[in-house]
Amino acid sequence: MDGINRKERAGRIERSGVNRRQFGTLLAAGALVAGSGWPLPASAAPPVLRVRIGSDIGNLDPARIFQIENQTVATQIFNGLVKYDEASNAIVPDLATGWDISGDGTVYSFALRSGVTWHKGFGPFTSDDVKFSFERVLDPQTGSSYSGQLASIKSIETPSPDKVVITLKEPNSGFLHKVSAFNQGWIVSRKALGEIGDKAFALNPIGTGPFVFQNWAPGREVKLSANKDYFAGAPKVEEVQFRVIKDETAAAIALENGEIDILFGLQQPEVIQRLKGGGLVTVLDRDANHTINLVLNTSIKPLGDLRVRQAIYHAINRKALIDGFFKGTKSEASGFLTPAFQEFTDKVPLFPYDPAKARALLKEAGVGSFSLDLVAPGANPYDKIVVPIASDLAAVGIDAKIKVLERGAYLQARNKGTVPTCITGVVGAPDPDSPILSLFAKSSFPPGLNTAHYEGVEDLIAAARQAQGDDARKEVYGKIQAKVMGDVPVIPLYADHLFIAHTKKVSGFVQNSLFTMSAYPVSLLEA
Amino acid sequence: MDRLLRQLSQLAITVFGIVTVTFFLVRMIPGDPAQYMLGDYATEEALATLRAQLGLDQPVYVQYGLYVLRAVTGDFGSSVVTGRPALEEILFSLPDSAILAFAGLAVAVVIGIPLGILTAERQGSWSDMLIMIVALFGISFPVFWLGLASVLLFSQELKWFPALGASSGGGFLTHLHHLVLPAGVLGISVAAYITRLTRSAMLEVLGQDCIRVARAMGVPERRVVWRLALKNALVPILAIVGVTFAWSLGSAILIEVVFSRPGIGSMILKAVSARDYQLVQAGVLVLAVAVVLVNSLLDLAYGLVDPRLSTR
Repeated sequence: MDGINRKERAGRIERSGVNRRQFGTLLAAGALVAGSGWPLPASAAPPVLRVRIGSDIGNLDPARIFQIENQTVATQIFNGLVKYDEASNAIVPDLATGWDISGDGTVYSFALRSGVTWHKGFGPFTSDDVKFSFERVLDPQTGSSYSGQLASIKSIETPSPDKVVITLKEPNSGFLHKVSAFNQGWIVSRKALGEIGDKAFALNPIGTGPFVFQNWAPGREVKLSANKDYFAGAPKVEEVQFRVIKDETAAAIALENGEIDILFGLQQPEVIQRLKGGGLVTVLDRDANHTINLVLNTSIKPLGDLRVRQAIYHAINRKALIDGFFKGTKSEASGFLTPAFQEFTDKVPLFPYDPAKARALLKEAGVGSFSLDLVAPGANPYDKIVVPIASDLAAVGIDAKIKVLERGAYLQARNKGTVPTCITGVVGAPDPDSPILSLFAKSSFPPGLNTAHYEGVEDLIAAARQAQGDDARKEVYGKIQAKVMGDVPVIPLYADHLFIAHTKKVSGFVQNSLFTMSAYPVSLLEA
Repeated sequence: MDRLLRQLSQLAITVFGIVTVTFFLVRMIPGDPAQYMLGDYATEEALATLRAQLGLDQPVYVQYGLYVLRAVTGDFGSSVVTGRPALEEILFSLPDSAILAFAGLAVAVVIGIPLGILTAERQGSWSDMLIMIVALFGISFPVFWLGLASVLLFSQELKWFPALGASSGGGFLTHLHHLVLPAGVLGISVAAYITRLTRSAMLEVLGQDCIRVARAMGVPERRVVWRLALKNALVPILAIVGVTFAWSLGSAILIEVVFSRPGIGSMILKAVSARDYQLVQAGVLVLAVAVVLVNSLLDLAYGLVDPRLSTR
C-alpha cells in the first residue's frame, strides 16, 4: 500500500472518530464474529449434517472393511441384497425386491431392483455385480476376512440382469444374514473396481447408496454428498460430513455448541450423564448386538474344571460393575447374546453373585488358592473393569493378576490362544451365527477367537444351519445358548448399550443396533 | 559454502540415525499390523497373504535393508491401513502441524521474551517473583490439562471459541477462530520456558562489564536493557527458541488430540497403535527434518545477530 492510500485511510478513520488502536480492536472483534461463522442465515448454507466419529477411517472396501467408523461411512454408500430394518432388526428388501428359498433350503433366488445406477456414472447395477462382489470376497487372492462368512456358497448364477440365483453347498438357515447390507453383504461395482483398482477403491468407493463419497481429509473429515438419483428417493440433506473428534468431552461440548449435529459412538458414562442432564440435546440409547465377556481358557488348569469356572462366575459382582462403574449405562446379560437378537433366550443357567457359593465350589473342586491372569486390551473401559473383577476374585481366594496389553499386543496374544482369560466382545450384525462361530466353534480354535478352546456345541451349530423357519431356528439357538451358558467357557460381564446424541435440529433419526448410523432418513430443522 | 556442506551432511547423518533407531524401535513393539488391519474375523491365510504383501514375513534386517534401498530413491512405502504412499499422507498433514507449531511459537515468543526481559530488569521485585511463579505453573501444568481447561472455560462456559481446533471449510477467519485456543494453549505452555530462559540469559548479560560501563557512562536504563543487553542475549534466546520449537512439536501431539486437530502428531500416534510401520517412519522422518532444518536456520540467524559467529 502506498503512502497516499495509507494517509487517506488514516484520514477516513480519523474522521469517523475511531483512532488507530480502536480500529485494530474493532478489526479483531470483527474477525472473531465473522470467524465464528455464527449466526448463519439458515437459508445461506445447504443442509449439511455433521457427524462426529471417534477415530479416522482407513478402508471402505466391503471385502476388507472393519471398525465401526469405516462401517458407519460405508453404510451411507453401499447397499446389500437385503438389509436390517433399523428399528426392528427384521431382514427387509434392499437391492433385492424379493427372494425365494427352495424347499431343501439350498437355492436362494433374488429378484433385483431395476433402474439402480452406480455412483459417479459407473452405469447400471446388475446381477453380475452381485456375482462379482461375493466371488471377490471368496477369492483367496482378495485376502478378505469375510470369506468364511460366505463359505456356504457353491455357485452364483445370473440368468438375467435383474435376477441372481445363489446355490449353497448345504442348507444354511442364516444365509440372509450373510448377504445383508453389512461388511461382506455390501455390493460393489465390477466396472468401478476394474477401472479404479482394489487399492484406490478402498478410499474412493463406488456404491449405489443414498450418499456419494466425495473426499477424505486424513485426520480431519470424510465428505459425502447426496445421491439425487437414489432408488428410494433423494436424501433430505445435501451433504454429510463425518468429522474426526477423538476426545469425547470435546465432542460433547461441540455438540452442545452446535458445531456438530450427531455425536456418534458415545461411550463414557460421565459424558452420557452430563448430556442427558443438560437437556440441550437428545440422547438416544439402545441394546447393542454384543455382550462383553470374560473368556476362560478351558484347556488349562484349573480352568478345565467346570466347578472352578462356575465359581469364578459366582464370584464376580456384575451388578455392582454395571451400577457403580458404568453408572447404569450397560445392562445385565444372562448369556452371550443380547435381546437385540431375534433368537435370544433368557432360559439359560444363571450364576448370580454369591461369593460363599464360589468358595464352596472351589473347595469342592479341591483347588486351593491359585493365581489367574486377567488379560485385557488397553482400551477404555476394558483396562479398567478388570480392576473390580480382580478384587471380586481375590475375595474368594483367587489371586487375579491384571495384564493390560496395548491393542496390537493384545490381538497377538489372543490370536495365539495361549491366554488363560481375556475380555472379548464380538461386535457385528444381529446374526447369532457370528458370535457363536467366532467364540465357540472348533473352527475358531486358535488362531481365532475361541480362546476358551471350547467344543461343546459342534452338533448344535450344524443343526442350527439345517433348521428351516424362524421357530425351528429359535429352538436350536435356544439350545446352544443354554448348553454354552451351562458349560461356562465365557462369563458375560454385561450387555453393551449404544448411545447416540443429537441436537434438536436433527429430525427423523433412527438408532440401529449395528453400532452404525444411517444419515438417509435424517433431515435438519431450521434452528 | 563449506559450512553449508558441513551442515547438510550433519543433517543427513542425524536424520538417518533417527530413522534407523525408529525403524528398530517400532518393530520391537509387540503386535501384528496384518492382524490390526484385518480385524477379529481374519483367517490365518488372509493374515499370511497380507504379511507377505507387506514384506513382514522377511527377517527384520532384510526389511531394514529394503527400506533403506527404497528410501534412497524417495520411496518410503505405503501406509498399511490406507495403502496410500506414507510420505504423501504425512506431508498432507504437515501444513496443519506447521501452522499450529508456528502459531504456538509466535504466541510464546510474544509473551515469553518481553516477560523474560521484564523480570531480568526487575530482578528480585514482586513482579519478578509473581511472573516466575506463574511461569513455574505454566511449566508444571501438563499441556493437555491446560487444553481441557481452556475448552471447558472458553468453549463450554463462555462460548467464545469453538471446542474443535480445526474447522471444516470456511474462510481464513474461520480457521483463525478455530486456531486461537490450541495455539494459545501451546504458546502459553512454551512461553513459560522462554520466559525463564530469557530471564537467565538477560541476567547473565546484564552482569557483564560492558553493561556496567554503559550504565556508568549514563546511558539511559531503557536503552541499556532493550538495546545493548537484548542484542547480546539474543543468541542464547534464539537457541532457546530452537529448542522450544522441537519441544512444541512434541506438545502439539497432545494439543492435536485434545482439540481434535489433524496433524503429524496425531497421525503418528494413530500409526503407532495400528503398527503402521511405514507411516511412523515417514512421520518421524518429516519431524526430524523439520527440527534439524529449523535449528540450521537459527544457526544462520546467529550470524545475522552476532557477526562474530558467522566467521567462526
